[in-house]
Amino acid sequence: MDRLLTSIRPRTAQALQGGATRGMRGVAIGLALLIAWALVPLVASRSIVDLLVFAALYTIAGLGVSFLLGQCGIVSIAQSVFYGIGAYSTAYLTTHWGWPALACMAVGIGISTTIAFAVGWPILRLSGYFLALATLALAIIGHVLFTEWDWLTGGTLGIGGIPALRIGEYQFNTPQRFYYLVWPIALLLLFAHRNLLHLRTGFAMRAMRDAPAAAAVLGIDVHRLKVQVFVLSAALGAIAGSLLAHYVTFISVDSFGIDRAINFLLLAVLGGARTIIGPVLGALFITIVPHALSGFGDIHAVLFAAFLIATVIFLPAGFGGSLHRLVESLKPSERVDDK
Amino acid sequence: MSALLEVSGVSHGFRGLQVLKAVNLTVKTGSITGLIGPNGAGKSTLFNIVSGFLTPDAGEVRYAGRSINGMPVEQRSALGLVRTFQTPQVFAHLTVHENLIAGGYKASRTGMLANLVGTPASRRELAALKREADRACERFGLSEVRHRLAGGLPAGQQRLLELARACFGKPRLLCLDEPSSGLNTEEVNQLMALLERLNAEGISLLLVSHDMNLVAIASVIHVLCFGEIICSGVLRELQSDPRVREAYLGV
Repeated sequence: MDRLLTSIRPRTAQALQGGATRGMRGVAIGLALLIAWALVPLVASRSIVDLLVFAALYTIAGLGVSFLLGQCGIVSIAQSVFYGIGAYSTAYLTTHWGWPALACMAVGIGISTTIAFAVGWPILRLSGYFLALATLALAIIGHVLFTEWDWLTGGTLGIGGIPALRIGEYQFNTPQRFYYLVWPIALLLLFAHRNLLHLRTGFAMRAMRDAPAAAAVLGIDVHRLKVQVFVLSAALGAIAGSLLAHYVTFISVDSFGIDRAINFLLLAVLGGARTIIGPVLGALFITIVPHALSGFGDIHAVLFAAFLIATVIFLPAGFGGSLHRLVESLKPSERVDDK
Repeated sequence: MSALLEVSGVSHGFRGLQVLKAVNLTVKTGSITGLIGPNGAGKSTLFNIVSGFLTPDAGEVRYAGRSINGMPVEQRSALGLVRTFQTPQVFAHLTVHENLIAGGYKASRTGMLANLVGTPASRRELAALKREADRACERFGLSEVRHRLAGGLPAGQQRLLELARACFGKPRLLCLDEPSSGLNTEEVNQLMALLERLNAEGISLLLVSHDMNLVAIASVIHVLCFGEIICSGVLRELQSDPRVREAYLGV
């Protein structure tokens, strides 16, 4: 017994000390990342900053898909629709009626969430492949309507002349300026979702994902919760779409097709849908890697596909999942008594 | 003692096969009631009807004096009618402690928006649930594994966790589906002691099992055979009943 205690005591002391230095190290890493983040637009080329702005926009929309997939087990290929609704609401209301940006975004969110509720209520009774197909159908219908309703969307010609976002006289009209606006918004939304995940509703979601019948027995209204998360996901899509419209100032139906919906799903899978950081990593991957590979000429699409396959095979939990495991393995064991 | 659960005239069939034939069964408030029968007798079907996973073709289920026919599972749960599963249904990717926190869903209130913002109320609520989960870990002997993922636990501990989680909000009627399957003799003895303790705390129990030893703790036992209750009584009476011997032992 004595030997057991003496063998534990130094380890506990070590663990405590380790905790303090780990905290310091965490702050240092956070600070370094923050400085690096702030410096990027000053040193990187305009095209790289542009890609990073898109990465932030995709992070926001992809977060919705990632949350559905990783925390609720729902495959959604419909995010392009809500992304489009957000973008077209902003484009139409700013150019035709001259509404302020926040009001336009609010309308986009309102329409998106209403549609998500109306469509989600019946289709979220489905599960697995059938549900995925139903969301794909929604994406197809959305794309057709965006094309056909040209009085509203400009059809294939699109809508141009969307004003840049501004605070007072300061306009966010360059990639560099928009970068400093969009990433804080993305991080704020990630932070809110981290809250959600670790509070009551998050526990209910994860319970529902792992064992829906048992979740119902605990009093969780599984269907209602799925609809809620679907609506939340649609709101994120609309926010990203609205920001996109202000950033590019010209939008057309090409940005809201099935390929975009699949990209959002792809970034969720690659990033690691069960982690909060996953959408960021996934979004950086799908924006930066194709760009980096474009130097290889025609073969770049094949190379990108090869990258995707390799990632899925070697990192099945996505970048976020692998990162999480790496961090866990670097920590000294805190729970000495578990051994 | 009044009746907490009354099943009257419940019939159910699957594709023309009549699984339950006008079954009547009562669970008195505060009692331990057993339901036994050979495989394929219709126990699980009856159990699913009581817990709300199936709607009976005919008949009525009354709970705490009101009809609960057609009431969804989660609403039954809110009224204190809770079940466990034959194969333990733990939340595999959550730790034991987190499984118990999820068990406190009914006891908490905050909604999605409050959780997104992380309001003080939602944080206080979670802190309270965590303390409650700590206590549940101790009570059910799960403290040593509290940080382990539930999916990686051996079957016996998964069952214990499921039971602890079901008891989290202090249910009125706890329905246990084959709680002893996959447990060794010692674990079954511990389970029996635990169930008697829960019952003493005021939780009524409905035990579905084909394990005669386990149902010995029941004050009344119903024997279900080919969709009908063939007799009811205490264990000793049943053991000497020729119909039960025939159904159960085939002699």
